[in-house]
Amino acid sequence: MSDWEQLQHILNCPIIAEDLLVSDHSEWTNLEPGMVLMEQAESLKAVWRVDYRTIRQLTIKRSTWTDTERALVQWAITQQAGQGLTSSYELDSKSDNERKSRALGEWIVQQAAIGGMETIPGSLASDGRLYAEMIPFLLETDQAAEASALSDLQKLLASFLDEDVIVIPLKAQEWLVLAPVSLMRDTLEERDDQTDMLEESLVSIGSGLHEMLASEWIGECHLAVGRPIKPVKSIVQSVILLQETIELGRIYDMGSNIHLPWNMHLERLLISIPENVRLRYVEQAFGRSDVFMEPETLSTLETFFALDCNVSETAKKLFIHRNTLLYRLDKLKQESGLDVRVFRDAVLMKIILLLYKVTKRT
Amino acid sequence: MAGVRLEHVYKKYPGSDLASVKDINLDIKDKEFLVLVGPSGCGKSTTLRMIAGLEEISEGKLFIGDRLVNDVAPKDRDIAMVFQSYALYPHMNVYQNMAFGLKLRKFKKADIDKRVREAAKILDIEHLLDRKPKALSGGQRQRVALGRAIVREPQVFLMDEPLSNLDAKLRGQMRAEISKLAKRLETTVIYVTHDQVEAMTMGDRIVVMKDGIIQQAASPEELYNHPTNIFVAGFIGAPSMNFIAGSLNDKGGELRFKADGIDVVIPEGKAKVLRDKGYANKEVVLGIRPDDFHEEPVFMEASPNTIVSAHIDVAENLGHEMILYLNGIGTQAVTARVDGRSTLREGQNVKLALDMNKAHIFDKESELNVFEN
Repeated sequence: MSDWEQLQHILNCPIIAEDLLVSDHSEWTNLEPGMVLMEQAESLKAVWRVDYRTIRQLTIKRSTWTDTERALVQWAITQQAGQGLTSSYELDSKSDNERKSRALGEWIVQQAAIGGMETIPGSLASDGRLYAEMIPFLLETDQAAEASALSDLQKLLASFLDEDVIVIPLKAQEWLVLAPVSLMRDTLEERDDQTDMLEESLVSIGSGLHEMLASEWIGECHLAVGRPIKPVKSIVQSVILLQETIELGRIYDMGSNIHLPWNMHLERLLISIPENVRLRYVEQAFGRSDVFMEPETLSTLETFFALDCNVSETAKKLFIHRNTLLYRLDKLKQESGLDVRVFRDAVLMKIILLLYKVTKRT
Repeated sequence: MAGVRLEHVYKKYPGSDLASVKDINLDIKDKEFLVLVGPSGCGKSTTLRMIAGLEEISEGKLFIGDRLVNDVAPKDRDIAMVFQSYALYPHMNVYQNMAFGLKLRKFKKADIDKRVREAAKILDIEHLLDRKPKALSGGQRQRVALGRAIVREPQVFLMDEPLSNLDAKLRGQMRAEISKLAKRLETTVIYVTHDQVEAMTMGDRIVVMKDGIIQQAASPEELYNHPTNIFVAGFIGAPSMNFIAGSLNDKGGELRFKADGIDVVIPEGKAKVLRDKGYANKEVVLGIRPDDFHEEPVFMEASPNTIVSAHIDVAENLGHEMILYLNGIGTQAVTARVDGRSTLREGQNVKLALDMNKAHIFDKESELNVFEN
């Protein structure tokens, strides 16, 4: 005999239990698991969730109740609804994972906004992978993402990386991807310079991932890659760092879509200088900031610095003759008083160039 | 396969008043190999990225085949891209790199295998299919990137400086291979390069761009022989065309071009056009290619009215040809190309005859080629 048949027997009145689809009853869409709606008119009606798709409606046809009977029935229904959560509740694993990811994402965004350094609370850290070392990737797009973006991205990454990745939505067009460090096993080599090698390996994976996302998913996007972290401890710090890296990359490294925190130390320092101080410095150090208005000068300097001030490599990269490059550098020296082939002047020019970019932007 | 049509396409970046690409109108035919060429910042890559869907089109229409694709995502445009900064997927081997796009599109395993192996055969990388990218040379990686595009059998291939990371020798080799490949696959290719040699050797048609504007779209021969303006004339051909500012003097029934160190007769056919267009006794720019200087006695005897004298500052003997850097004609150095067996040497004074039938006259203000506009 079921619980309801027993109750029917005790109360000596008909009890009708029906399972209904949530999709057919929009008025119950917001009914949270464990919540019970009851109303009493000619009969007592109670409604609660069985699982994500199903609502159970119980109707007890009885108009007069003693207080004890009513309390007994309410207790029985609450027990059933609560039991549904722990035992008979059929979890839709896909939706559940998505719900957990979203909840974790909301928590990260909140923590990042207040600069929190908290570890992930236990209720959000049920996924064991959050305790292991993972590579963090922050993905941002400028295009509006579709409603199914999260599940599409999860599927795509699972297929691409062939590894168990965690995708956490942060904002409408921003996702944190956590991939296991085992992903690097194919790109790491036996070498002495472990730090350089790790960074090279991360750049290589990031570049491949960006290429795939650009051509197979949403088109152009920005990707920041961080060093491996234990998410449960440092996920918030990592997100703050990667968000800042993309922001800096968009200002200082406009031609690139892959941004690396370890390449942004100087930029991070300079952006923290108040604007009026920056402007004053540029004016004092270098009266004619309009020299940079020439796109040719900007691209020449950027390439020259990116290639460690190597004249031959810069000329090759810019597809110009070495003498043309030397002519441009001489011209810049005449106009600015700075010879970027000299270390001291090169440092100053690099700083002015970065300050100019952020000043122009603000 | 399909053609691509751009109608009045503009690109403006947020915060900028000026358009980076202006009023591009192009009808690229099915199976055509079209090259976009121009100096850095001319808008060629931006145009290609708009076709790829990686940049939004600010204004105008883009059709691939008959389909308007302005708002179609890159993955749904049925195109394949190979860019200068192509990145292979480092955790996958060559086979998986090439197969991934097809796997995503839910192709059957047997079909994927067939396409990957066919592409690998075409590119001569069958023996590399099990290798990871880090174990490949630059040229091999480039082939894999091409292979990844080929297996898709797209309607259009888009390539942006795909060879610029390779050394000169390999670049020459891959250039020929891409041309061969395009013919073999019978597909539409839009190829961006800064290198006019690449453009001239690969393209069925070349679009020369400057400051976001198409300067001329024509076959390599047409561009070389009939450039529409000074920019195109100077950009196409190496060494570049020489430009000498001077005037056209109409005297005694002859139209002569005069400048410092040069006084030559314009052939009758060309003179008539110049007179008809009102250029007699006006200042113009003469354009003459290095190849159109001649030292052969036969030519000198046949063209006594086009002989110039100059001093050889530098003579570069490349074996099959000699490049002379001359002083004394006009105000700037002039380049001439003569036979490699020439006995001319640095420091000599020389007399050379110009083939004025191949010369161009440009309007001094508009810089347009008088004979082509």
